[in-house]
Amino acid sequence: AGVLAAHKITASSPDTDLPTVSGLRKMGVNFTVSNKDTVKSSDVLFLAVKPPIIPFILEEVGPDIEPRHIVVSCAAGVTISSIEKKLSTFCPTPKVIRCMTNTPVIVREGATVYATGTHADVEDGKLLEQLMASVGFCTEVEEDLIDAVTGLSGSGPAYAFTALDALADGGVKMGLPRRLAVRLGAQALLGAAKMLLESEQHPGQLKDNVCSPGGATIHALHFLESGGFRSLLINAVEASCIRTRELQHLADQEKISPAAIKKTLLDKVKLESPSLSVASASKVSLFTSKTKKN
Amino acid sequence: GVALGAWPRVTMEASELWVGFVGAGRMAGGLVRGLLQAGKVPASNVLASAPSDKNLDAWRVLGCRTTHCNLEVVYRSTLVFLATKPHILPGVLEEIRPAVGSQHIVVSLVAGVTIQTLQRLLPPGTKVLRIMPNLPCVVQAGAMVFSRGSNAGDEEAALLKSLLSSCGLCEEVPESYIDIHTGLSGSGVAYVYLFAEALAEGAVKMGMPGALASRIAAQTLLGAAKMLLETGEHPAKLRGDVCTPGGTTIYALHQLEKGALRATIMDAVEAATNRACDMAKD
Repeated sequence: AGVLAAHKITASSPDTDLPTVSGLRKMGVNFTVSNKDTVKSSDVLFLAVKPPIIPFILEEVGPDIEPRHIVVSCAAGVTISSIEKKLSTFCPTPKVIRCMTNTPVIVREGATVYATGTHADVEDGKLLEQLMASVGFCTEVEEDLIDAVTGLSGSGPAYAFTALDALADGGVKMGLPRRLAVRLGAQALLGAAKMLLESEQHPGQLKDNVCSPGGATIHALHFLESGGFRSLLINAVEASCIRTRELQHLADQEKISPAAIKKTLLDKVKLESPSLSVASASKVSLFTSKTKKN
Repeated sequence: GVALGAWPRVTMEASELWVGFVGAGRMAGGLVRGLLQAGKVPASNVLASAPSDKNLDAWRVLGCRTTHCNLEVVYRSTLVFLATKPHILPGVLEEIRPAVGSQHIVVSLVAGVTIQTLQRLLPPGTKVLRIMPNLPCVVQAGAMVFSRGSNAGDEEAALLKSLLSSCGLCEEVPESYIDIHTGLSGSGVAYVYLFAEALAEGAVKMGMPGALASRIAAQTLLGAAKMLLETGEHPAKLRGDVCTPGGTTIYALHQLEKGALRATIMDAVEAATNRACDMAKD
């Protein structure tokens, strides 16, 4: 998006064989295996590890956190207060922002929300918003809404991929070649989403506009309704949101010491096949702000 | 015999209109009440016929004239409403046919009888219109659609619309919409009654007395419908306006969606429409 120069970004991961690492390197991002180095050379810290690893990471980098740092956590279900609590043993007023984004940030059509912590200033939030707005939609919310956002737009792309796969199947069934079916299905959803975002009208009205009396579309919609299409989607968002809360609840009950987590999860992380998402593959990946220190 | 005295002159002035009803059942009664209440036609200008006095008593109470002779209705009226049961109509048409002339406007309320059939059974050139009302016409909150036959023109359509708007919504449509109107609104009224009953039962389950629940259910439907009609907003938008985040309404709506209520309603409208089509073919 051109918001940051690549050389102002530092990322770290213990495992340098991950495909995401080479990807980042190719973009010109500074890479290190030391989380501490990353913290030292950054002003804005994105914590992009899996949620169970967050406490362990915070223990590790806590001593190096300075008042200037803005710690941004993208970890699902990890509360601001849990992060602040962990960091407060090292730094009296840690600036924490919690955010929830989604995978289409990769194509700069992400959906991001953030909630600011106790000691984060308005400008800190605005800085994050500026960064994330360069890769899609970004807005501030109350922290208690973040689980719902996870259910809707966090998981949302998965619902869309599932829908697109099925739509393509429908196209193939009716005679279209697969590639064309996928392309057309995706474009249809993209176009519809764009229409909705650019329109003042209610989606119900936009739907009506497509349904000529007795025509093909209304026949198809009847099938969707019969299958409880709407309720399935409501169920999905609800399930994802509830699960997020469950996970958060489990995390809050951390009874295991960080050292024990470290060993177990380190092994687990190595065993897991790396995904292509930056957020889950690296241990800690950090982006600096415009004022880089070097 | 029928007294063939001075017949009323042909006129399009509603107040001078002589209106006749062949058949005096509930639907006809609803229409005439609307006409009278709106002052469109004086009761003394209305003549209704029926085989027995059972239905006619109510008409007399309104101030209308009554008879047991269908022919008399036709002779003494310019605007003739046909409101018999479907299986009786062909016989009635045969009976009145000799008396039907170019001054008449014949409006059929009879379910399932097409304009083509009506025109076939009436003298060529007769001005025929077909109307499908619904039950709430009796309280002047009806929904009616009508279509014109080959010889009915703009004047007749305008007259009918102007008269019947006193009973509710009245729109001209292509004849093919009439069966759909049956599925949507003719039968549709029954769907609403079912919904109201179920709403009330839900409330009773939760501890409210039945009579109160029923009245509130009815008022809820009335109020919602009124808002729809008066704001002109899309129902989806109005629905969204009621749904506060995480509130009671969205929880309830989720239950409705789980039950595929929308599809079921679409199925109902489709079934009634198809049935209307099938019956018309008989």
